[in-house]
Amino acid sequence: MINMQAEMEAAQPIHAPPTSFWRKYVFSIDHKVIAKQFLWAGLLFLFVGGVLAMLIRWQWAFPYREVPLLGGLLEGGRIGPATYQQIFTTHGLIMIFFAVTPVLIGTFGNLLIPLMIGARDMAFPKLNMYSFWTFVLSQLLVLASFLAPIGTAGAGWTSYAPLSTNVGTPGMGQTLVVAAIFVTGVASTMGAVNYITTVIRLRAPGMTWMRLPLTVWGLWLTAILNALFVPVLGSAALLLLLDRSFGTHFFMPAAVAARGGGDPILWQHLFWIFGHPEVYIMILPTFGILGDVLSFFARKPHHWYRGTVWALIVITVLSAMVYGHHMFVTGMSPLLGEGFMLFTLLISIPSMIVVLNWILTVWNGSIRFDTPMLFALGTVFLFGIGGLTGLYLGDISMDLYLHDTLFVVGHFHFTMAAGSLVGAFTGLYFWFPKMFGKRLDERLGKAHFWFTFLGLLLVFGGQLLAGYAGQQRRLFDPFQNPVYQGLAGLNRWTSFFAFALFAGQFFFIVNFFRTVFSKRIQPAGQNPWHVTTLEWTDSASPPPFHNFDRIPLVVRGPHEFSNPEVQRLTGRDFAGQAEVLPGQGEPAVSAGRA
Amino acid sequence: MLAAAGRAAAAPIPERGYGLPLDASADGHRIDSLIQFTTIATTVIFVVAGAVLVYALVRHRRGHPAAYQPGNKASIGLLVGFVAVVAVAVDGYLFAHTLADMERVFWNFSAVEKQPDTVRIEVQAHQWAWAARYPGADGRFNTRDDVVTLNDIRVPVDAPVLVQLASVDVIHSFNLPNFRVKRDAVPGEITKLTFQARREGEFEISCAQHCGPNHYKMRGVLTVLAPAQFREWLANAGELARVAYDPEDAEAHWGWGWRPE
Repeated sequence: MINMQAEMEAAQPIHAPPTSFWRKYVFSIDHKVIAKQFLWAGLLFLFVGGVLAMLIRWQWAFPYREVPLLGGLLEGGRIGPATYQQIFTTHGLIMIFFAVTPVLIGTFGNLLIPLMIGARDMAFPKLNMYSFWTFVLSQLLVLASFLAPIGTAGAGWTSYAPLSTNVGTPGMGQTLVVAAIFVTGVASTMGAVNYITTVIRLRAPGMTWMRLPLTVWGLWLTAILNALFVPVLGSAALLLLLDRSFGTHFFMPAAVAARGGGDPILWQHLFWIFGHPEVYIMILPTFGILGDVLSFFARKPHHWYRGTVWALIVITVLSAMVYGHHMFVTGMSPLLGEGFMLFTLLISIPSMIVVLNWILTVWNGSIRFDTPMLFALGTVFLFGIGGLTGLYLGDISMDLYLHDTLFVVGHFHFTMAAGSLVGAFTGLYFWFPKMFGKRLDERLGKAHFWFTFLGLLLVFGGQLLAGYAGQQRRLFDPFQNPVYQGLAGLNRWTSFFAFALFAGQFFFIVNFFRTVFSKRIQPAGQNPWHVTTLEWTDSASPPPFHNFDRIPLVVRGPHEFSNPEVQRLTGRDFAGQAEVLPGQGEPAVSAGRA
Repeated sequence: MLAAAGRAAAAPIPERGYGLPLDASADGHRIDSLIQFTTIATTVIFVVAGAVLVYALVRHRRGHPAAYQPGNKASIGLLVGFVAVVAVAVDGYLFAHTLADMERVFWNFSAVEKQPDTVRIEVQAHQWAWAARYPGADGRFNTRDDVVTLNDIRVPVDAPVLVQLASVDVIHSFNLPNFRVKRDAVPGEITKLTFQARREGEFEISCAQHCGPNHYKMRGVLTVLAPAQFREWLANAGELARVAYDPEDAEAHWGWGWRPE
């Protein structure tokens, strides 16, 4: 054990921190700085994506009416059909690729993987820097697309061909966005390779697989999915770029292009082979964060840790085998459709295990309702709704009616916006003291929670109701159709709730900037939440450049709470993962065994 | 009371509020019953799990000492049992019923093909309209007596309808909410859809797949007629088509030879 520690020390010598401004803040190879860079970049685009969402809601509440505040950016001050399709397209793309992904995976992956496994940095620190700056390039491409002559992308975030080819959406804007998808795919792949290697190679001595914090499990499995499936999206985007700019016909059949011989359904296969793992890419880190945070704030070990780990692994494997449920109505072979339905229904089994383990973790705890815990519990409820509504859509019969309605939109927002985003807020409130050395304000945090939780519930609940009644998604003016006129009131109210949800985010913005920049706020201290994982017990807040003065020697699992023996020896209700209890000396735990 | 409800249900396009739209099809009830089942099942699961969680949040607060319980045989057994019951009772029920629905009804095109009274229609989608083609008296497509309509599809009540779909530009989706079916129209492919109307009236046809800026305007009317009325309309329209036929107008001859199963 001691030898292993010496080996890890030798493999990761302490380097002097960089001193120049550029090396320290801009082209940094420090995973903690890169995490903050991803956070800033992601939050900025989260705001942009949120504004676009408000424009969509304005259109559904008051179609044709002049848009307040933002009217100056729009032609004639109003949203027209062409602008509308660009708004919902970029809303989806920005939220998924340029807001939630960088915050959830870029920020927490970079910050937490080395700190939680007891490493001094990522396995490939330079690759990490390249990953971030490649990501920035993709964001710039998206911003540039808004300035293109006939506007940005308008083919939906799924970019279905041939609508996404020059036949349906000509112009530089769509091309730039497809290029941005390709470039961000390169960034994600670089990050993924790094995460996978780091977890495999740089775990501190004693940090066995079954002692990994669940957050690391979630992020590691996510990285595997990213490495396997983002390249598929990248290839598809590249082929689409060739179709758009070089006259190839990969996705254009003879029916739409004189010399075409391509297949539009090929795009859907390539897109969803990536696209369905992508929704798990966005939820697995949240699953991991919740698994840890619920245990931390219930002061109780995670219920059936091994069950959760195996469930997460099974979800990861199955997530690659369900993508066809997005294509039930394309005319796919019935046998294929039924196979995809079977796997889709099966994935509910490990998902239920994960959720029920959360509930049983909280059961019989001694619960602290700090802001991170509120967000974690909110995520459990919201993701629960998202998961259960998925049952309707994974079933072919019901999908025949519900496909492409707002029911789908409500469902995936409950999982991806509510689940992933609120999960990301959970992590942000929880690890903020580690990142910035100070705690976010509790009162502002709680106000932010209630606006966010109730807002999401009402907005996406409203969408489920509208979709159940048959309202199709992506309609510029749903109410020119008499069939939907009865739903105008519901849509307007949903919009009001959405505006409140957006307004509630200002509690967070104020809280965030005030805490980051204020000099008067007390330092949080090394371990303000009194929890067990290495980043809290063995490193300062914020951690030094080299994270750990000595590579920790891990002796127990991540959730050692309320153990009477620990209480007797230390007077505390928790024991750190690398903590040697008084009177116990060198622990009698052999390396490689849990 | 019942009569009023009946009248309301028979209104052409109900200006509906919440809930599922009027079901005008012979088989939509299969889907509606599954939706109903799923709503009940998911509500029960959500309420049971949510109640346990809320109870824990109220009961097991800070003052309550936490138990050192990483999970034991009883609690893991309870969890696995709950999951198993849900998996069999809900997932299993849905899978079995849907398999039967798909194989027997919604995707069973060969059975409809064999029925003698099947009405065949070719629908060609383009930005942003639905063109429909009936074979006319000769029973063959792309001939002189084809009846061609725009955003106006008529079918007889109580007869199976088989639609073959094509698109000339981007992907559209032929959506009949009152019949609980939809199917994509994909350029370069012929896709199929079948339904049977159970009641007369006018119903919505919409495009469900985003197909460009005017996607929201891409709509049509499906009119369900009494069989005699339908035959009369088709015969008249066929006569007019024969008169208006222009062999030079290549654009108008977009039909294709019917693709049997």
